[in-house]
Amino acid sequence: MKIRKMKVFDKMAKTNTLLVVFAMLLLSLFIAYASDWFSIKETFSNSDFYQTIMIAPWIQYLPIIIVVIPILGAIIEVLVAKKSIDERDKSVIYMGLLTLVIVVFIYPLALDDIIRLELPNVLLLGLSFRVDMLSYSVLLLSSFIWFFVMIYAHEYMKKEEKSTRFFFFLALTYSSVLGALMSGDLLTMFLFFEIMTVVSYMLVIHGQNDSSYKAGYNYIIMGLIGGFLILTALLLVYFNVGDLHFASAIERFDELGNLKYWVMGLLVFGFGIKAGMAPVHVWLPRAHPVAPTPASALLSGVMIKVGAFGIIRGASSYFFPSKDVVTSVNDPIWLTSQNIGAFIIWTGIITMALGVFLALQQENMKKMLAYHSVSQMGYIVTGIGVALYLGYQGAMGYSGAIYHIINHALFKSLLFMIAGVIYYHTKELNMYKLGGLWKKLPFTTLVFIVAALGISGFPLFNGYVSKTIIHHGLTEAYHYGSSSFIFAEIIFIIVSAGTACSFIKMGYYTFFKKTENNYDEIPYDYSSHDIALWAMALMIILIGLSPKFIMSHLIIPQLNMTTYDPDFINHYILGLNVFAIKDILTTLGIVGLGIIIFLLGKKYHLFHLRLPKWLSIEYIFFLPAYLLMKNLCRILYGDKCPYNEDDFKKLSEDDIEKVGFIDRFIITSNVLNRRYESSIIRADAMIYTVALLFVIIFMINLL
Amino acid sequence: MNIIERILENINYIGAVALFLIGLRIVVLHSNLIKRIMGINIMGTGVFLFFVAIGNVSGGVVPIVGANPEGSTFVNPLPSVFILTGIVVVVSITVYSLSLVIRIYQNYNTIDQKELAELISEDNNEH
Amino acid sequence: MNIEQLPIINLILFLFMALLIPLLKRRPFKITLILGFIVMCLVLASSSHLLWHVNEVGSFSYTFGGHEARYGIEFLLTPFSALFTWVIIILAMIIYIYSSGDATEGIEQSEYGRYYVLLFILLLSMFGILYTNDLFNTYVFIEILSITTCAIISIKKKKDTYTSAFRYVMMNEIGSLSYLFGVALIYMATGYTNISMVSESIQVAFASYPFNIVIALAFMVIGLGIKAAIFPFHIWLPDAHSSAPSTSSAILSAIVIKVYLLVLVKILFSVFGIDILEQMNMPLILLILSGTAMILGSIFAIAQKDVKRMLGYSSVAQVGYILLGISLLSFLGLRAAFFHIISHGLMKTALFLSVGEIIFYKKTRKVNDFDGMGFIMPVAMGVFSIAALGMIGLPLTSGFISKLNLGIAVLENNYLVFLVILIISSLLNVIYYLPIIILAFLRNEKYHYRMTTIEKTPRTMITPLILLGILIVSLGLFPNVIMPYIEAAVETFIS
Repeated sequence: MKIRKMKVFDKMAKTNTLLVVFAMLLLSLFIAYASDWFSIKETFSNSDFYQTIMIAPWIQYLPIIIVVIPILGAIIEVLVAKKSIDERDKSVIYMGLLTLVIVVFIYPLALDDIIRLELPNVLLLGLSFRVDMLSYSVLLLSSFIWFFVMIYAHEYMKKEEKSTRFFFFLALTYSSVLGALMSGDLLTMFLFFEIMTVVSYMLVIHGQNDSSYKAGYNYIIMGLIGGFLILTALLLVYFNVGDLHFASAIERFDELGNLKYWVMGLLVFGFGIKAGMAPVHVWLPRAHPVAPTPASALLSGVMIKVGAFGIIRGASSYFFPSKDVVTSVNDPIWLTSQNIGAFIIWTGIITMALGVFLALQQENMKKMLAYHSVSQMGYIVTGIGVALYLGYQGAMGYSGAIYHIINHALFKSLLFMIAGVIYYHTKELNMYKLGGLWKKLPFTTLVFIVAALGISGFPLFNGYVSKTIIHHGLTEAYHYGSSSFIFAEIIFIIVSAGTACSFIKMGYYTFFKKTENNYDEIPYDYSSHDIALWAMALMIILIGLSPKFIMSHLIIPQLNMTTYDPDFINHYILGLNVFAIKDILTTLGIVGLGIIIFLLGKKYHLFHLRLPKWLSIEYIFFLPAYLLMKNLCRILYGDKCPYNEDDFKKLSEDDIEKVGFIDRFIITSNVLNRRYESSIIRADAMIYTVALLFVIIFMINLL
Repeated sequence: MNIIERILENINYIGAVALFLIGLRIVVLHSNLIKRIMGINIMGTGVFLFFVAIGNVSGGVVPIVGANPEGSTFVNPLPSVFILTGIVVVVSITVYSLSLVIRIYQNYNTIDQKELAELISEDNNEH
Repeated sequence: MNIEQLPIINLILFLFMALLIPLLKRRPFKITLILGFIVMCLVLASSSHLLWHVNEVGSFSYTFGGHEARYGIEFLLTPFSALFTWVIIILAMIIYIYSSGDATEGIEQSEYGRYYVLLFILLLSMFGILYTNDLFNTYVFIEILSITTCAIISIKKKKDTYTSAFRYVMMNEIGSLSYLFGVALIYMATGYTNISMVSESIQVAFASYPFNIVIALAFMVIGLGIKAAIFPFHIWLPDAHSSAPSTSSAILSAIVIKVYLLVLVKILFSVFGIDILEQMNMPLILLILSGTAMILGSIFAIAQKDVKRMLGYSSVAQVGYILLGISLLSFLGLRAAFFHIISHGLMKTALFLSVGEIIFYKKTRKVNDFDGMGFIMPVAMGVFSIAALGMIGLPLTSGFISKLNLGIAVLENNYLVFLVILIISSLLNVIYYLPIIILAFLRNEKYHYRMTTIEKTPRTMITPLILLGILIVSLGLFPNVIMPYIEAAVETFIS
């Protein structure tokens, strides 16, 4: 193979490369500090820098500073955009870099949980911020990914219009994500959650064609519904516990009886809508294909993690006892946690299976990746479920969930970016129409292989570790808890095989299949795309090679702060050998099963199976309502139904994709209005008389 | 006997309430605008009669200082003062409504509420 | 001039201005406007001073002519009246500044003066209702308010104004007569019309004449309910909005119906007292009314094609929220109701004024015609969006704080059903507000507006809008600035 000379069209490619190298240096500095090479921790804590700046009182205001920086970046971006595109992108990239630097540097403070900020009298109940290791792990992850995606977006948005507006809202979304991650009580998290929903709507709707509007409307309505569910939970918690801070409240909840299950259910479903949990995941596969790729990458990579983060925070704060109270495994105080945990495990398993099954049927690359996001979020939710179910010994599930959050963010964003690169060059998202791209985009192919191995859970890549841990968690649930979880484990294995199969399929059809397309227009160049791609791939490989790093420095500090059994942690987790032979053999078996499924599927055209329309969740769920709405006119009016043709056709439309629930609701309210409004208006004095009579008779009866 | 006695004692109040109800019935049942205005007037008259009836003290004398010796029971003058204001208010409202009726007639050529409703819904449907 | 005369000086100032306007007919209209503005500033200053005084020093009363309260008319200045007169004058000033731009559309030049006369008498009557401590005096001021409001909404000489005005007069008159009947019954049973005296003797009267009190309660509540647009007596409100000029709609929806709700609060809590109300199970009736208002008001709003009628139905739903707060009969409930009165006043004013600007420049009222409005009228649509997001209940706006307050108040009485109704109603609000915002800012396909053709609107119309937007957001961020005053106002009724 000849080594062709790479051209560089992108003017900013060199600077971006330097910036990414700088980011990697920061990462290595972080690794060095965390692993305490050359006893760097000691020297650092005695240094002047630490003493003067990091323990100063104004450090408490860091959360606000971190949230404000992207907002300022957004404003600067809009102002600078008139000058030149490169200047504008530079402002955004530097904003990301600045946030990244600050986040890396607050690691020592986060370890000790020093940063806590209270803002009383704002928003009636007061806001509070808090950076502990749980927030920090996701925070660090988000900053890195966001920074890389900004660099990627610089190159990608050259082929899209209205990119200034895109970057503006992207920066605002970043700010709200950071705020949500650093929140110290439910109200702050709710505030940033709602802001995130509203601003990210503008990202989804970027394309401004019909399907974008539909997907966007679905997205924002479901997001707002999730917000309202969380608001209800917030009100219930505030009223019953008196304090919204994320601290243990299980004693108060136990007194309330069944109310605690309602609160947890509301929290799980409210955050679960954002997290892509079944059955409320339906906005995900609609929103991803229509959003521009950087937005999809961040939506799948970071924003749905905020949903999962919310569930973890809510569950592990309100429903866990505090450390000094718990003494043993069989303390009845864990009963609530157990029941909730079982429910969440099954929800997670269903999500996993649903996601993978639907993903295998897709031909649009982005839609397939969206369904995989649903499926992987199912892994995370299962992990959370195990953490709650096993109660005192749930540390395994908890670590697995957080580890998978980190891993999934990395490889999913990478996969979306790869799909975006393919779309950028070939304008084609249907994988059956592509093929043979490995010749023209060799570097992309290489990175794809890394990401695919990551998501399939191949040893030496990052997915292997987290999937193994969650698998261990499930087996523990089976051993220590109810034996019905054996089915959960079987489904887990099948789903993992399905994941592997799906990516073999994608790789084969897009990159390796022989095809007549020759793709002459694809330039052989080095652009900001590639920089971002190799940076993420590098992180995946690093984690895969030394998985214990994340365990010991990001996850174990969190576990020490929760109420899990310290003996259990020491015995099983600290000493966890992820490279045990049994696990490696299981994983290789899974991958083998995946290959077999792929070959079978290709031969018998199983991938073109489609579920009948009536089996979709929406249809079953909404069927009674649709029937009612269709016949409402006849019920109200008898035979002289004054519908016009259009409306009636829309209501009897069986295809729910075309006319959604809300449209039908609007038409129904039109009917109600037409029937009743004028008669109510005409009957003015009559209503007065009737009401007066009722009230008087009612009250006199009580005398 | 008891009931008839009680009715006779409170005949003023019953009359006032009856007027109120008659007025209400007119407003509810008739669709001619002018009749409704008259109905409201009758309702108002009923309420004022009720007020005056409250002021009436049985066996009382005219409440004018100097016309009757101190110490005798006076009829309560306060409600009469109230209803003076009330009458003025109802009159002004009647004036206003009547001018509205004239305008409505000029524009729609009918003052029947049902026909008006149809004419208006036709107008709205043209938009 | 001592502090006690300030309330009556406020009223005199309004009356003076109202009488002065016809005399200034020959002069250019600007002089009238400036004089009016000066008068309003003076009243604002005196209201602020009164608010400070009542909260720091204490309530006081002012009797007319020195006759004691039993025989004469008394003005009672409590934290409640001081707070709400202050709120009213602020909202009125904002609407006044807006209307001095070109927005009194449809009215001929010669009639501008009459409009402002009506406006000042309207303000006089509202201040009177809040200050007075006498039931019959309240009736007089209520009637003045009815007539001026009716005149102010039917000032346009168009066909549809007349029928809607007629219906308005009819229903309001029935309401006032109901109220008067209630006053008569109370006077019959207790012998007083002064509110403080009635509240002292109501228990005795209830023991001796239970029928009177009960029927009085029913008549007064329903009478005021008609005037406050509580469902199902809200019938006149949508028609009145669709044919009135925007400033009048703003005054009607944001201020006038709230004043009637405040009178309702006074009657329920001061005159009758919580004991009688609970005995008569009045909270149940009010709760049912408020629940239906919240849901049905929004459902009817979804089906409207005219944007002003839609906002009218939205007001009906919001009045349901306030009624929910009142009917809980608790400290937290009343606090939530008062906060929502203030917050909804701001948001509804913002909505109506921005819609007024759009109607004035684009001559269109249909909800479907808002395509691309955000590009040519960014300030108006921007403020509309902030207010609409507030109605939906997004955090950072004052609407969210009122929902939070209401939720906590509802939970205290353990009415979980109403929590669900509250959330469903917010969801319904999303369905009809969100499409307008999306249409305005995103869908530019119909008219292809460009950012360069922003309509030049006069500064007097834009400044109040921006001010309202800032107020909504700052009240959403820092509600605790105004909470002490609201809590002091609640304490005049519930200790």
